[in-house]
Amino acid sequence: MAKRSTILKVSGLRRAFGPNTIFDKFNLEVRTGEAIALTGRNGAGKSTLLRCLVGADRPDDGSVEVCGNAMNEASPEIRRDVATVIDDLDFFPDLSVVEHLDLLARAHGIADPDEAVDEVLEEVQLVPQSGQLPGTLSSGQRRRLALATAFVRPRKLLILDEPEQRLDTEGVAWLAQRLKSERQKGLAIVFASHEPELVETVATRVIQLGAARG
Amino acid sequence: MSSLEAGADDFAYEQPSEPKPLTPASPGELKRLMKDWRAGRATRNVLQAMGDAYVAVFAAVMIGAMVVNVILKAQRTVAQCTSATCLSARAILPWAAFAATIAVALAVSRLFGPVLASAAEGFWLLDAPISRSKLLRSRLVGAIAAAFLAGAVIGGLISALTGSGQTGVLVWAGATALSAASSVAFAAAQQGLERHRLTHLATYVFGVLAVGALFSVVGVAAGWFSLGLSDDVGIELGLIMIAGSTLVLLISAVLAALRLGQIRRTRLLSGGALVSGISGAFFALDIGLARDIVVERRAIERGHVHPKRGKGLGLEALIWREWQRLWRFPQPILVLAATVVVPYAADALGMSVLTPVFAALALFGAIIPLLNGLRVLTRTGGLARCLPFSLARIKLASIAVPAILAGVWAVVTTPAYLGFGDGAVDRPVPQAALTAVATAAAGLLGAVRWTQAKGVDFGAPMVASQAGAFPPGLVTNLFRGFDVCIITTAPLLLGLSPWWSLGIAGIAAAILLNSMDAETLRARQAEQQKQLAEQRKQRTEAAAKQRKR
Repeated sequence: MAKRSTILKVSGLRRAFGPNTIFDKFNLEVRTGEAIALTGRNGAGKSTLLRCLVGADRPDDGSVEVCGNAMNEASPEIRRDVATVIDDLDFFPDLSVVEHLDLLARAHGIADPDEAVDEVLEEVQLVPQSGQLPGTLSSGQRRRLALATAFVRPRKLLILDEPEQRLDTEGVAWLAQRLKSERQKGLAIVFASHEPELVETVATRVIQLGAARG
Repeated sequence: MSSLEAGADDFAYEQPSEPKPLTPASPGELKRLMKDWRAGRATRNVLQAMGDAYVAVFAAVMIGAMVVNVILKAQRTVAQCTSATCLSARAILPWAAFAATIAVALAVSRLFGPVLASAAEGFWLLDAPISRSKLLRSRLVGAIAAAFLAGAVIGGLISALTGSGQTGVLVWAGATALSAASSVAFAAAQQGLERHRLTHLATYVFGVLAVGALFSVVGVAAGWFSLGLSDDVGIELGLIMIAGSTLVLLISAVLAALRLGQIRRTRLLSGGALVSGISGAFFALDIGLARDIVVERRAIERGHVHPKRGKGLGLEALIWREWQRLWRFPQPILVLAATVVVPYAADALGMSVLTPVFAALALFGAIIPLLNGLRVLTRTGGLARCLPFSLARIKLASIAVPAILAGVWAVVTTPAYLGFGDGAVDRPVPQAALTAVATAAAGLLGAVRWTQAKGVDFGAPMVASQAGAFPPGLVTNLFRGFDVCIITTAPLLLGLSPWWSLGIAGIAAAILLNSMDAETLRARQAEQQKQLAEQRKQRTEAAAKQRKR
């Protein structure tokens, strides 16, 4: 059995907004093949924590390491290894669904981008919308496109903020199986969720944030 | 047994008696009712409100009087000028303003409606069994009247500033006003039929005519050809335009009024949503956001495209996509091509010294629509995080295509700096070429700065002022981009070598492309403060330990 290597290491992370401390002395180690689910009520700090993990927000204290490198959002190495779906994902208004995926696949140097794109497009059930511009997609379809951007490219760590949002029941079931399969292939996953089915199917560990309050 | 288990057949219900038909309120009655409600909630009347805002009213009156005085003085001065340049500008520029006003009126009308309704009106009023055309009539009249006023101001101002006499100013103000009003009415008539092709076509035709008119100003001023347009002929033609525009206005307005009831609610509401979104963005002085809303709206109108396969791997794929997107929405290239006339016109009109500034500002405006990719990649950072490159390389790839086009623009505008108008500054070819390159760099970098500027941070510490507290970025946000254009072209304005401008452009490029923007600097400062606090804490702890010993 291959030795599990550490993909993400979080030490003593602290984030506060004024007098309101969101989390303090937060430690976490995620190895290959592990999936960590962050749960907790609204405002518990799940999204803030994930934003700190991907470098979209700056923690007040502590450190985040990805594959042994200190977290630096601008680093091409980190961008290559970490696939994220958080609330700040934007789309080009004038590129179609399939063109977004094609661009990402090519940017990451995938040898056969057409095949990779077709596969993911079919999986997220956006084939009929492949020529549509993002502004015309429904919120659920936009969420599927956002997830597709994470699946069409190489990755070692997946960070997802409530990936089940706006997906229909079938979509949530598909996502659960897809993330489970990602984990089984050796990927590390950290995700925040309010969906018990998703947490139960995917997570190897569950961390409840803001538990002390409730 | 619960009612759910019983099934529909088991329910006994009483047949309701036929309801007495209600007489719906007329749109006029509804409007009066809403006016009464609003008036009932008002805590001040108009005079009291004006009393409160007397400083603003007084300032507006003062500034208005000064502006009118300046315009009249300029008109008297320019009217005495009889050089070929002045005569060509006087004869042709009102025509350019006339055509440009029509093109802008048509484009804006098509974008917003021109007839539109707010979300509240759409939900509460348009659903009701009332005459939609009566409800919307005031909107149509309002849009036409607004276009009339704007056209009158533009037409009058241009003809006055080119030195036309009083009759000429009145004729051109009337012609431009009526043409703008008739354009809006025409677009409204087309809106009633859900057709936009004619409006679209007319926008391009009048846009090309406006650019053509500007080119002829340059040609006449440079002595390449003569049009033989005297003031009298210009006035006569202006009167013909008034008659023609009035005819188009009457026919279009009647057709538009008849078709008001046919306009779909979604179309009315999308115009209203666009207006509220843009006005919100302008209220925060976030012009970038206002542009984003318009770009998104255009993309939604297009909806679907024929997907194109990408090319290359890595950064090459990103550059290739920029190129493809440009061909998908090629209108910005036409605008860029039209701006080539600006340095020639400025030189021909004897404003040689100011030519680089005007040209850089024109290019700045024309390049912004070509930087949509950079805008999306820098406004939130979410999409850039998906790409395995540093932000500096992403930015470089995003501006590669616009930079090539700016380079071509520099080549095409180089002859403008050789000097051919009355009193133009003559420059040798290498210096003219360098001036053109420096000007293009100023325009390009100004556009890059404008595009990647973040919105105003209302969470930042506020600055106190007589008008209340406001974030410091609110004011500086307005000048972003313009500052780079002005600073880069300043050496040219002062008569220094273009190498100075190129040097400044190099520094600006290094700062802009390496993301040394204010936000990064703030983040670095915060990081340093954090480290200092940590060191202070350690020192305090060490001192406390020593004291204990």
